[in-house]
Amino acid sequence: MEVIIYICLALLLSFCILAAMSQSLLKSAIFLAFASATLGVILFVLGAPWAAVIEVSACSGLVTVIFISAISLSRIKKEEVQKLYADKKQMKYLPYILIIAGIVIIVAALAGSVALPGTAVESTEDFREVFWNSRQADILGQIVSILIGGIAVYVLMRESKD
Amino acid sequence: MNYLNYAAAVFLLIPIAAIAINNICPKPYMKKNFHTLTGTVAVFQIAAAAYALCAMNANGLTAYDFSILSNLKITGSALFRLTPVSLIFLLCIGMVAFVSVAVASKTVESMRISYVNLLMTMLIGMNGMVLVKDLFTLYVFLDVVGISSFVLISLFRSTKALEGSVKYLVISEFATIFILTALAFIFMQTGSLAYQDIGGVLEGADGSQKNLIYLSIALLIAGFSIKAGAVPFHSWLPDAHQSADTAVSILLSGIVIKIAGVYGLFMVVSLFPGVRAVQIALAAIGVASILTGALLALRQTHFKRIVAYSSVSQIGYILLGLSCGTTVGLIGAVAHVFSHAAFKTTLFSNAAALHEQVGTLDIDKMGGLQSRMPVTSLSSVVAFLSTAGIPPFAGFWSKLLIIIALWTSGSAVLGGVALIASIFTCAYLLRLQKKVFFGETPEHLKNVTEVKGGIKFVEIALTVITSATGILFPLVLIYLQSRGLI
Repeated sequence: MEVIIYICLALLLSFCILAAMSQSLLKSAIFLAFASATLGVILFVLGAPWAAVIEVSACSGLVTVIFISAISLSRIKKEEVQKLYADKKQMKYLPYILIIAGIVIIVAALAGSVALPGTAVESTEDFREVFWNSRQADILGQIVSILIGGIAVYVLMRESKD
Repeated sequence: MNYLNYAAAVFLLIPIAAIAINNICPKPYMKKNFHTLTGTVAVFQIAAAAYALCAMNANGLTAYDFSILSNLKITGSALFRLTPVSLIFLLCIGMVAFVSVAVASKTVESMRISYVNLLMTMLIGMNGMVLVKDLFTLYVFLDVVGISSFVLISLFRSTKALEGSVKYLVISEFATIFILTALAFIFMQTGSLAYQDIGGVLEGADGSQKNLIYLSIALLIAGFSIKAGAVPFHSWLPDAHQSADTAVSILLSGIVIKIAGVYGLFMVVSLFPGVRAVQIALAAIGVASILTGALLALRQTHFKRIVAYSSVSQIGYILLGLSCGTTVGLIGAVAHVFSHAAFKTTLFSNAAALHEQVGTLDIDKMGGLQSRMPVTSLSSVVAFLSTAGIPPFAGFWSKLLIIIALWTSGSAVLGGVALIASIFTCAYLLRLQKKVFFGETPEHLKNVTEVKGGIKFVEIALTVITSATGILFPLVLIYLQSRGLI
């Protein structure tokens, strides 16, 4: 199991760096989806199936669909994006350096036998009980976060009247 | 207790109701009357906080647990907690929100519906932060405040506003990463993020566990210091404040940095009491902020940038109060949060008045406005005296408590630094006053008149609050002494 986690951690790191450094928004969105899916696997292996399901369905699925829809709706051409990033060319080796550094850290952690967090103990509480009673305040916060997300998209993406 | 329960629910439910009303009512009507709705919410919040403070005092309560949806009869189902400190923060939130709305009625001409939506979500976020009993929930509401602030800064989509908001977002994300990582480490040690489970986590921890907890504390301090705009994490603050609309700057400087940053640090001090490393870190950040903020303010020529750097400096005083780890220090820090909210919103209201009437905030292009704008000038002088800690204004008492706390906790040197730094505060604010309000009036400003409406009203109201708080503060000290707190 530990091997799967370490492989997934390395993949997660690689996908995150590729998502951040890619010059194409579409590729970034796809790498982000892969990163979320990998995180979902890690969560599943660590014994948090509910979190894994939500991570894969919401972050890897729903959010990617929204990103790709938004990218396809935007009118900016690929050449224009590349032009904007033209002065960032000198950073093209940075992802590889970061990936190698990340892998070195993971190997060092393996060699140093750093303990992984223990797999979750099966809870006696029902999921619904935890969701609606213990974490109710979080849900309120999450609902407001989604609301702001909607407002932010409206405010920032609306057509300018000027 | 029933009324207290209703008052408590006001803090979370009324802003949600306001969002619903704002989006259901006809748009032309809401655009015209947006300030009535938001002003009412702010007044409700001020009234509820004042009532709850009096009711808790009358009943001898130090904490009151409540829940807005789940059944309170179930043990542990209460998810929010009112305390005297949280109520003072809630009072400040209501006061600053009211001032922001009054200023917005003059400065916000488009995007009024979005402004109301964002102000209300920001209010829910800030209220939630000071009411929760769990670090993870605090993080969720912190993110609500962060995203609302980001969109509010960029609301009018000028190039400068977008630049300022992106800078805020990027730096702010580092803060959330630090805080979330710290929460993960703490959760690994305790298995819970509820405040009552974290207290005392250092006791009984072995070497490696202690190191992980110290790392978590360092990450929490770094994260919340970024949100507070403290040195060396202050670079986002002046740009964000300058580029945002003044109604938004009032929110950012008046309350957001205090709730998102200072309240977080207050929780760190409360959850890890007596930890020497926390006290040293806060003292170092505090002194660096006081001196750097004041020195940088001396070099600025934009009114809002001077006031923004002043916020960096004043946040330093609050952190010094927290660093003492004593009751007097904490009371001084909370008192300075209140007095800073009052005098800083006054200075930003002055900025709004000057921008409306003069058309610029470049202090080199102003002068001699005292006779043209007497109310703005007088309120600015009172705010300046309070900021500098001159008696009898509110800022004097809060700074005095902080300096006494530093002195009595054995940090006389820091107390001396805080005292001497007031000279720098006087220097940059005197320069501001001299260039804007005193001297000869330039020809192009001969026809400038006093601002009218909401801005004038809040300038007067805040001047009264700053003066009255200062004059009546000895009564607060007598009350605190009677309760054995000082």
